[in-house]
Amino acid sequence: MKLAFSPALIRKLVTVFLVFLAVFSGYLLWHIDRTSPWTRDGRVRADWVSVAPDVDGLVSEIDVKDNQVVRRGDILFRIDSRRFRIALSAAQATLLARYAAMREAEHDARRYERLRQSGNASAEKAENLRARAMEDKALYQKALADLTRAQLDLNRSVVRAKVNGYITNFHLKPGDFVKRGQGVFALVDSDSYYVDGYFEETKLPSIRIGDRMEVRLMGVSPSLWGRVETISRAISDQERHDLPGTVPRVNPTFSWVRLAQRVPVRIRLESVPQGVTLVAGQTATVIDRTPHRTR
Amino acid sequence: MKETDFFGVFLSPFLFWSLASFAILWCLRLVLSWTGFYRYVWHRSLFDISLYVVILTLLVFYERSPTR
Repeated sequence: MKLAFSPALIRKLVTVFLVFLAVFSGYLLWHIDRTSPWTRDGRVRADWVSVAPDVDGLVSEIDVKDNQVVRRGDILFRIDSRRFRIALSAAQATLLARYAAMREAEHDARRYERLRQSGNASAEKAENLRARAMEDKALYQKALADLTRAQLDLNRSVVRAKVNGYITNFHLKPGDFVKRGQGVFALVDSDSYYVDGYFEETKLPSIRIGDRMEVRLMGVSPSLWGRVETISRAISDQERHDLPGTVPRVNPTFSWVRLAQRVPVRIRLESVPQGVTLVAGQTATVIDRTPHRTR
Repeated sequence: MKETDFFGVFLSPFLFWSLASFAILWCLRLVLSWTGFYRYVWHRSLFDISLYVVILTLLVFYERSPTR
């Protein structure tokens, strides 16, 4: 019996079939690459407090080391408090003086009020003295406020941790002069670690808030897991360079070749394997592992 | 989608898969010519490149499968 297909036809069919298969799978590859929500461009991030003293002064004592773990309320360093103690004594002395002046003025005012009622002093004099008594009371209250401020300055000369975290980039030494409001090192909040995945805008449509994400840190073998917390709602427009309060200034050149921009997707970490140390700035690969959606 | 660590240079995993599928294709070509399968092939080069794309796709799909 002769074959139904001639060998030449079989040869053509086999080849053409495989070529069609290749074209289809090539399209699939392309589609996956364009839309599958994963990125190698992720970063571990954390919030930190820029620790700055609330008073000027010389650093007298250091209570922590670089990279040390601290708890909320721990003492970080102390500023030489002598100046603040002097200020406090001066404020106490002023308060005392103001108190004496206030009491005297009150007595005078009361005495002249009685004299005025019995007709032995002028109404003007009594009124002047009442006004002076009020003034002295105001000055006393001002002195009281100054004393409170001096006390606050003295308290603030001891700088404490505001969050649980890690001391970072610490180079302070006793004798350094620190200025009010000027950060001297960072205190990384240990409760604030998260991952930002910079996803191409072509992949955003397949990412939803709440998606389960796998996070692979560069060089770390066990994966971290988390969920999409939020997706950033703004990135800067590189085609536009407006000066504040002027009309739009749009870049006149537009390139033939262009790349999808990247949008930060914030991932809240849910499980970090034992022994994995998170460092803000670490590189991460972020993969959407929500199974149900077809991509 | 694990990044490929090549002596400290981190490469896209796709590069690794494309090289791997080339290696697989090489072995498959030997097997196919040994079994005489190429008698049923019209244009050998066209067949080979199609086979390469199919292998590459299978590798990428294997790599993406959630069981892994």
